[in-house]
Amino acid sequence: MNEPIMTSPTLTRRHILAGAAVIGAGLVAAACGSDSNDAVATSPSTGGSTPATDPAADTTVGADTTVGADTTVGANTTVAPDGNVDLDVAMLAASLEVLAVGTYAAALDAATAGALGDVPPAVAEFVTVAMAQHQEQLDAWNGVITGAGGDAVTEPNATLKPTVDEAFAKVKDVAGAAELALMLEQIAAATYLNAQNVLTDKDAIMLAGSIQIIDAQHVSILLYVLGEYPVPDVFAKVDMAAAA
Amino acid sequence: MTVLHRRARVDDRAFDLLIEESQDLHTDAMAVARTTLPDLTDFAADRRRAGTTRDELATTAFQNSRQTLIRRLALSVGGVLGAGVVTAAFARSAAAADGDIDVMQLQTAVSLELLAVATYGAALTLPFIKDGNPVIVKFAETTMAQHDEHRQAFSAQTKVLGGTDQTETNPKYTPVVEAAKATLLAPIDVVKLAATLEQVATETYLADLNRYTDVTSRVLMASVMGVECQHLATLRAVGALLDGGAPELIAIPLGADVAKLPAAAGSVAFPDAFEGVTMASPPEEGAVK
Repeated sequence: MNEPIMTSPTLTRRHILAGAAVIGAGLVAAACGSDSNDAVATSPSTGGSTPATDPAADTTVGADTTVGADTTVGANTTVAPDGNVDLDVAMLAASLEVLAVGTYAAALDAATAGALGDVPPAVAEFVTVAMAQHQEQLDAWNGVITGAGGDAVTEPNATLKPTVDEAFAKVKDVAGAAELALMLEQIAAATYLNAQNVLTDKDAIMLAGSIQIIDAQHVSILLYVLGEYPVPDVFAKVDMAAAA
Repeated sequence: MTVLHRRARVDDRAFDLLIEESQDLHTDAMAVARTTLPDLTDFAADRRRAGTTRDELATTAFQNSRQTLIRRLALSVGGVLGAGVVTAAFARSAAAADGDIDVMQLQTAVSLELLAVATYGAALTLPFIKDGNPVIVKFAETTMAQHDEHRQAFSAQTKVLGGTDQTETNPKYTPVVEAAKATLLAPIDVVKLAATLEQVATETYLADLNRYTDVTSRVLMASVMGVECQHLATLRAVGALLDGGAPELIAIPLGADVAKLPAAAGSVAFPDAFEGVTMASPPEEGAVK
């Protein structure tokens, strides 16, 4: 590969954020509709930090859109039928993991077919390992879901999928694929962080935190590959968080 | 040319713009934080008035687990004498400010952040760091500043919960860092030491999450955890490039040299699909005594 990897990206953050923002309202609505965690409704924002810890706060719902806590938006195709917020989060997480695995698989297929041009070895390694890790994370969430009597999630997040498909169709090179991967990883990391506002099950809290770390690390390496500083924020943010 | 004398390329202007952008974001965040601090103070007052500063169930559970551990340790060192020794050893930590596990976790977090700030500060005085790779210098400077912001946030939250602010560096790892200083002879040594501290912080904050009774504290910790783990990822990648004799690839932006990165650079930063907690500090480790 002789060309700089940082070519003109074929998609924009705003494009993806719009999709994330639409489904972002879902988690807010789900959290406020639940009575399983009273602390959620009463916790104030934290001094010196950016994360919005009150799901009723507008800032938890997408960077470009302000949605009130009582607004119901988005296709809630992965919402647990019994209103269990922990299960809602698990199903949302699984749907995002399915989307990530599928997108990385599609990127590998495109790379193998030569559709992305020369692929640097480090990028190929990243895609292979990240995809495998997301598969493990998907399996973990599905273990939680089936353990609670639910059906394993096998379909990608229905709200984000069309947006990702549209973006992927515009990917012509490694930089474009990396930009798309970055968006997915940022959404995932933000979603897991945001989930800490509403999760009540101790194992689910730990699983979400554990995966948030790995996805945030994926973000750092993608930023570095794309020529950006790998730790851009003082505090991890939730403005790209998706929701059930 | 030795590894130590090879200089990586860096686009200072672009890098500065990125840093400036990050600082702008931080300024915005702090502006928001300042507007919410009065509410936080009110919340703390309400919490104290309502007598909910301590979560009795969580505190009891924590103390029970401590007693179980004491009994196990006592058995391992032998009989009544052993129990007495172990109990005495724990007495100090049991006297943590107010026994609130949320507060203790925040105080331990502050102790780790204070140590991180001190360690990066010390590293920046080393000739092979301050006169070395500009990306490593800027990373150390930026990371030190970020840790100080984390320290401030944890301190503020400690006070919100009615706890005493921790002002001392972590008692377990401070001697480790002090002992390591004499062995810091090259950038890779500093990178490995910093990576250890970042991993301890990351895993400590992860292990803390499901012990919090206060959701605000939990989300704050998860937010900081999401940054410490990125420090760790970056240090792992930088360490691999230094170990691999390719310091010239420590550059931002890397541009076409992305193609020169070894394959391992694509995965060395995240060796597992899930983060563990084997290096996590217990809640009482850095609590105010």
